[in-house]
Amino acid sequence: MSRAGGLLKGTVIRKSGFQSTQQSRSATPQVASSSTSITANIPLGGGVKDATGKTAEYSVHLSLLLKSMEDQCPVCKSDRYLNPKLRLLVSACYHKMCESCIDRLFTLGPAPCPICNKTLRKLAFMPQTFEDLGVEKEVAVRRRLAKDFNKKREDFPDLKTYNDYLEDVEDITFNLINDIDIAKTEARIAKFRQDNAAIIEANIQRDESYASSLREKEEGERREREETARRLAQEEEEQRILREIERQQLIDKLEHSDKDARKLVAKSRAERLKQQQARAAALGTTTQRDASKAIRTRAAQSTIPDPPHVPLQDDWYAYEDKFTLRSGGYYDPISEAVRRDADGIMRAGGYVVEDIWERAIRTAVAGLDILPLSGFPIKEATPQATAARDVDVEMVGVPG
Amino acid sequence: MDAVEKANEARQKRWSKDKKVGEGMYAVVYQGHEAETGKRVAIKKIKVGQFKDGLDMSAIREVKFLRELKHQNVIELFDVFSSKTNLNLVLEFLDADLELIIKDRAIVFLPADIKSWMAMTLRGLEFCHRNWVLHRDLKPNNLLIASDGQLKIADFGLARDFADPGYKMTCQVITRWYRPPELLFGCRYYNTAVDMWSVGCIFAELMLRIPYLPGESDMDQLKTTFRALGTPTEEDWPGHTKLPDYVPVGQFPKPPLRDLFTAATADALNLLGKCLIYEPRKRISAKDALSHPYFFALPNPTHPSKLPKSANQLAPRPIEEANGNVDQNTSGAAVKALNPSATSTNKLKRKASVAITEVDARSVARRLDFSNIKTP
Repeated sequence: MSRAGGLLKGTVIRKSGFQSTQQSRSATPQVASSSTSITANIPLGGGVKDATGKTAEYSVHLSLLLKSMEDQCPVCKSDRYLNPKLRLLVSACYHKMCESCIDRLFTLGPAPCPICNKTLRKLAFMPQTFEDLGVEKEVAVRRRLAKDFNKKREDFPDLKTYNDYLEDVEDITFNLINDIDIAKTEARIAKFRQDNAAIIEANIQRDESYASSLREKEEGERREREETARRLAQEEEEQRILREIERQQLIDKLEHSDKDARKLVAKSRAERLKQQQARAAALGTTTQRDASKAIRTRAAQSTIPDPPHVPLQDDWYAYEDKFTLRSGGYYDPISEAVRRDADGIMRAGGYVVEDIWERAIRTAVAGLDILPLSGFPIKEATPQATAARDVDVEMVGVPG
Repeated sequence: MDAVEKANEARQKRWSKDKKVGEGMYAVVYQGHEAETGKRVAIKKIKVGQFKDGLDMSAIREVKFLRELKHQNVIELFDVFSSKTNLNLVLEFLDADLELIIKDRAIVFLPADIKSWMAMTLRGLEFCHRNWVLHRDLKPNNLLIASDGQLKIADFGLARDFADPGYKMTCQVITRWYRPPELLFGCRYYNTAVDMWSVGCIFAELMLRIPYLPGESDMDQLKTTFRALGTPTEEDWPGHTKLPDYVPVGQFPKPPLRDLFTAATADALNLLGKCLIYEPRKRISAKDALSHPYFFALPNPTHPSKLPKSANQLAPRPIEEANGNVDQNTSGAAVKALNPSATSTNKLKRKASVAITEVDARSVARRLDFSNIKTP
């Protein structure tokens, strides 16, 4: 593995910074003893990919506004004094330019960079995140590489091959940052991408699910905190009210009772102490619960067992033993027009003519047992009712 | 004073109003109690005289059907009486609705809870259908929860009886998000299947915790529906192109339900699929749905008394219950308009907190010494 200057490439994330990167090659990126601390960075793609999305544009940040008063566009030399809205963007070749210069130069299509003559496009300008453009470039390169080079320790059989891989990645990063053998390096990247397409895709999904689970966890914790705070406030309020009531009771007692005042006070004090202890005990049990446990306890606390499903719980009876619908239909002039339905509109809407007949007949047989209103109770009800039940219901619909 | 007035006065004395809990387009809702037993009730005072045809239509419908329907899962109408110029409905007092519970993010639904709510909804609906009543406005907001956990179908302001020959029915019913495609296509002859579509949407909403098909307009509702369930073909749904208001809204492929409902069991998806069949005649009926394997599979439906309750349950009921659904379209739009704004404020808040943490992140990044690296 050839490497320019025998340098190990620095990363922005490792707090040791660039000084530590001037180490000799013998310091491999990862040694077994410290593997945990380094692999901790890996899920975020070597720290470049920001899972939380917490990065801000460099000059927009409030604390930097004072400093950025010195900002000056290297092309038109206008500064924040002349143009308070000055916003410097960075080109693909890492040269700063103000927005008005970009508009002026690149609106009509791709044009050469006024500083290094590389052909640029307007859309390729991006906001600056870091003060140092070297860092800006390194971050961009690493972000780009992290997308493809997202293998992890689990993807390798042993530590040695993993370290080789990490070194390879650093090699490529270094080359890209310092513009060494760009063509060859690009070819290496393309080859890697081709060889590892499946693993890359799987790792992207793994990272995504990791990020989303992180978000969910945060959300859950926040909710829990809010819930606890609310409960505490409520408990405090309740206690305050209780104390108030007790005090009032004591005063009332002292007023009306003819017992010894000292005894009364002592008694109420003892009572209060007892209540406080009881509350504290109850509190201990309630605070133990947390949101995730609450779900399980709700299922587990089943003092009432969940009975199996019973489709209908009322005494379902629709008089179906008292009639059968004729298969041939009925003579029914009212629904005739609806039934003809040349266009199939009724069918498409789900209207069923049989429903009409069923309703008519069902309501008819439902009324069979009911005696006509006559103003005074009839004693001999039973024979009539049984007679009614035997009526042949086929008669209800006139055959057509 | 004649006999009718006397009877009315006797009834009026039986109930007393306590406090106002909501006001809607055509009614004011009070919390009240029965004078003798102290039983809590809701008294819906319907404003009379504002409407040029006399009583509001939905009040008539509500009284007409609730007087006849008495079931564990249907809201009970205890009494009706008039006071001066007002009509008062004495209803069961129920302190929460399913929408409140769905929206309460602190509550976690177990699959058994959803099963229990679905079973209770279907039982209530089956009872209505068995008695030839179409509800025509099923939505989580109209499924009220009693203190013992029983779910009760409420708001019969849009209900009507069905299976009467030759009468056209209006297609401007059911809150838009729960409206089946045949109504959106202007169908004037329909049956119980329209309610089952709404039940399907509610089922999906219980699993997703957000409305399943939130269309912004009637046209958009069709598009949203087809995007979620695929555009129906003539084979899926014979004759639908001949419906009065049929408009082609574009071809969408049918994505598998599994893509959206990742955690649902196969039985649950099967039932959901059957509730959301395009052809109304093939759509599952409430009675058949209750016998679906989904309900018999483990876990058993949660016992009503153990169902999760909203923390806001004791707070005054939102006003929608009193809102008589006089104008379906506006109420739908209002709900829709509220949701994005609520989420956008959340987003803003999140951004603000991120900005604060950035300060730390930046100060660390800037403390590193990069002076010895040359800018390329």
